[in-house]
Amino acid sequence: MNPSIDDVLFELRNLIWLFYAYGIAFFLLFAYLVQIGRRESTLRRRISDLQATVEEHWKK
Amino acid sequence: MRDISAADPPAVPIWIAVAAATAMIVHLYLVFCWVPNEATMGIIQRVFYFHVPAAMASFVACFVGGIASILYLVKRDNKWDDLSLAANETVVVFEAVNIVMGSMWARRVWGIWWTWDAKLTSAFILLFLYAAYLLIRRATPVETRAQVCAVICILGMVDVPLIYMSNRIFRTMHPSPVIGGDKNSGLDPRMYFVLAFGVMTMLLLWGCMVKLRRRVAELERAADDLVRRTNEMIDQGV
Repeated sequence: MNPSIDDVLFELRNLIWLFYAYGIAFFLLFAYLVQIGRRESTLRRRISDLQATVEEHWKK
Repeated sequence: MRDISAADPPAVPIWIAVAAATAMIVHLYLVFCWVPNEATMGIIQRVFYFHVPAAMASFVACFVGGIASILYLVKRDNKWDDLSLAANETVVVFEAVNIVMGSMWARRVWGIWWTWDAKLTSAFILLFLYAAYLLIRRATPVETRAQVCAVICILGMVDVPLIYMSNRIFRTMHPSPVIGGDKNSGLDPRMYFVLAFGVMTMLLLWGCMVKLRRRVAELERAADDLVRRTNEMIDQGV
């Protein structure tokens, strides 16, 4: 039996909904990865700045 | 404490990160293009291939975080505290993914976003518990932090079997288990393959996140230590 136009439209809406669901899931995962990646680089910069300050202090 | 320098190798080896990204792309291909449609729910059932692996990753994270927390209490080695923090933070991320996807599926299939049945409520409690963990961890003094966090982790580990068993024990709106359920349960072999592939991919991604977060925790500790030593030096007029 061929699906009715309503069934096809319902499935189409479900497909759009599915894309939204996967989109939000990937956004959450990606946002978390970016956030910890940025935190890592900020901390590395902070540590090298602090180490440079300490070394400069010792040279004086 | 381990020396941290800018020249340290990346927390996650490049080949593992590439493998995780590739696996994720393959998984998406399998979900959207390869696996057959489920007979009653149709295309929206494909949420299942990401919703369930996200839940599995959060369950694994709960146990890893909980065991690491207990090991920290016993051994007082900071590496266990870092692992516990890393794993527990990922519980929040994966549980949020799990709940958001489940809720979007429910809106199309049940016509509602949410219902307070046993499965959904216990999953919400898990998310709430670990979000509270992250807040409490920041607010608690360092001396008592390990004990407080260990208690929350133990509660989280108790909640995991409850979530898993809730639709076996209680009558819930949540679909009955398709793996390890009653004799009528089961999956088409292709669906089973995509689910298993999804679980492996999600665990790989979770492993990468935990390693990266653990490195951040090490760096935070090193930065705090450096600040403290610098302040001591200044105070002593060295």
